[in-house]
Amino acid sequence: MISSFGAILLRGVRAASVMVILFLFLCPVLWMLITAIKPPGQWLNSPPVFWPSHIYLANFREALVRWSGFKGLLDSLAVASGATALSLLVGVFAAYSLGRFRTGGENLSFAILGVLFMPPVAVAVPMYLFWRTFGLLDSFTALILQYTVFNVPFISWVLKGFFEDIDLSLEESALVNGATRWQAFLHIAVPLALPAIVAVALLSFIFSWNEFFFAVILTRARVTTLPVILPTLMEGHDIRWGSIAAIATIAAVPVIALAFALQRYLVRGLSFGVLR
Amino acid sequence: MPAAALLAARRRFAWWLMAPALAMFAANAVFPLLYALDVSVRNYQLLIPVPARFVGLANYAQIFSDPLFWSSVKVTLWFIAGVVFLELPAALGLALLFASLPRRAGVAVTVLLVPTILAPSVVGFQWAQIYNYQFGPLNYLLGLAGLGHPVWTASPTLALPSLIAIDFWEWTPFMVLLLFAGLSAVPRDIIEAARVDGSSYPQIFRRIMLPLMRPVIGIALVLRVLMSFKTFDIIYILTAGGPGAVTENLAYYTYIQGFRYFNLGYASALAVIQLIVVAALANALLRLARRPGLVGTA
Repeated sequence: MISSFGAILLRGVRAASVMVILFLFLCPVLWMLITAIKPPGQWLNSPPVFWPSHIYLANFREALVRWSGFKGLLDSLAVASGATALSLLVGVFAAYSLGRFRTGGENLSFAILGVLFMPPVAVAVPMYLFWRTFGLLDSFTALILQYTVFNVPFISWVLKGFFEDIDLSLEESALVNGATRWQAFLHIAVPLALPAIVAVALLSFIFSWNEFFFAVILTRARVTTLPVILPTLMEGHDIRWGSIAAIATIAAVPVIALAFALQRYLVRGLSFGVLR
Repeated sequence: MPAAALLAARRRFAWWLMAPALAMFAANAVFPLLYALDVSVRNYQLLIPVPARFVGLANYAQIFSDPLFWSSVKVTLWFIAGVVFLELPAALGLALLFASLPRRAGVAVTVLLVPTILAPSVVGFQWAQIYNYQFGPLNYLLGLAGLGHPVWTASPTLALPSLIAIDFWEWTPFMVLLLFAGLSAVPRDIIEAARVDGSSYPQIFRRIMLPLMRPVIGIALVLRVLMSFKTFDIIYILTAGGPGAVTENLAYYTYIQGFRYFNLGYASALAVIQLIVVAALANALLRLARRPGLVGTA
């Protein structure tokens, strides 16, 4: 290839346009971060304050204490970790069963994919009545189980592909040498798929951490996850933009950190295992 | 052990592993679906203490003559149109641009992905700030350019485009991620050979890259269309379906019928219709995914 001045210039233009595009896409996020450190009196101005006169971290204290952000944080953590742990337990088994033994054939795989794409609103009425019957509205149990229902199909679909990729002969030789199927599964297949298992677990955590619809329908005051607190603060007249931005930032940071940790698995995870 | 017994043991083991997931699907997917189906043929209203009467297909008949239903279908289709005509071309362009970076293209794509992975209610808050009529940065910049002060989400004409713009911002990066993966799977030597033979970049794109990427594009499109049926959160937070009903999509209209008016029978019939459409689309996705040779980045 000939590396001329034009080629170098073209490369520079491309890199620069990528930077500009990334900046434009991140603008709303940056605006939230800036608002979170703005003192009161600089939230609503015309012209808007693009950089605060001083960094005002009391927004975070107000968010955590006065707006029960701390409770929201703990509730979000409890719900997301509970749902992730439970989904993993059920989902890894199902994924291995689908990937290794093609249990239930194409029909079961299709049904599971169907559950994955079920619009939440389509099952909202029955599920609301279901949890009400058991007296579990506004409970951790209901929310954790509800998220598990959507995480399990995700985990089983994505991990199914990973289990299919693992060399069968390793498990077969273990079986020949007298291992039980359980041992072959737990001691060979699971450790080999471990990075992928961690990746889908973290993605399930993100989904549950972010979930909004069922949290709105199934909870009231006892369980309040961060996503539900946000819109309630945006009503009324004296809107505390700075502390709302602080809560939103608290909700956003873990998810962004996880996405970077997961980089290698994002394509496969976010395409639900359809793309490898 | 004889072969037949071994096979039976193997099958038993497989089903035992499946059992917890199946129990869960029975309780939380099959039950609600059957229940929705049952309620959808009854006149079930939570606020009226009368036993739910069997009304046959009356709810469905009513849906098809309900102008609000048709308007919500139209809104849903507008969101889908945004996916097909705005997100896809933009994502294709961005994927090509990002793939042309000599280094760190993967990191750039992950940075771009931030809007996609943020909680929808965080997204709603960010855009409530951006779109703020009086104090928002967007109207300030428009004012500087002398382009007026639109009320965005409160305007009957701009509310829907404003939400579609958020949807675009939130999900184009997701499509870039998938198309970028598809692009990375196009063999370099084929492109290099075409270049040596004197093909121009547009030719290479049209004759080589696009055909090789077609399955990935198909999957990305079907996935996004499936997801767009779920669009709810940004509507709930920013417009509540309004002004009037101009931003009420099918999901939001179903929510209103079910949880605002407690017309459970009617809402269930709406839900069943969506489920049929989504099942058909999921079927299409499965058929696309089963095609051989569908491998992106490792």
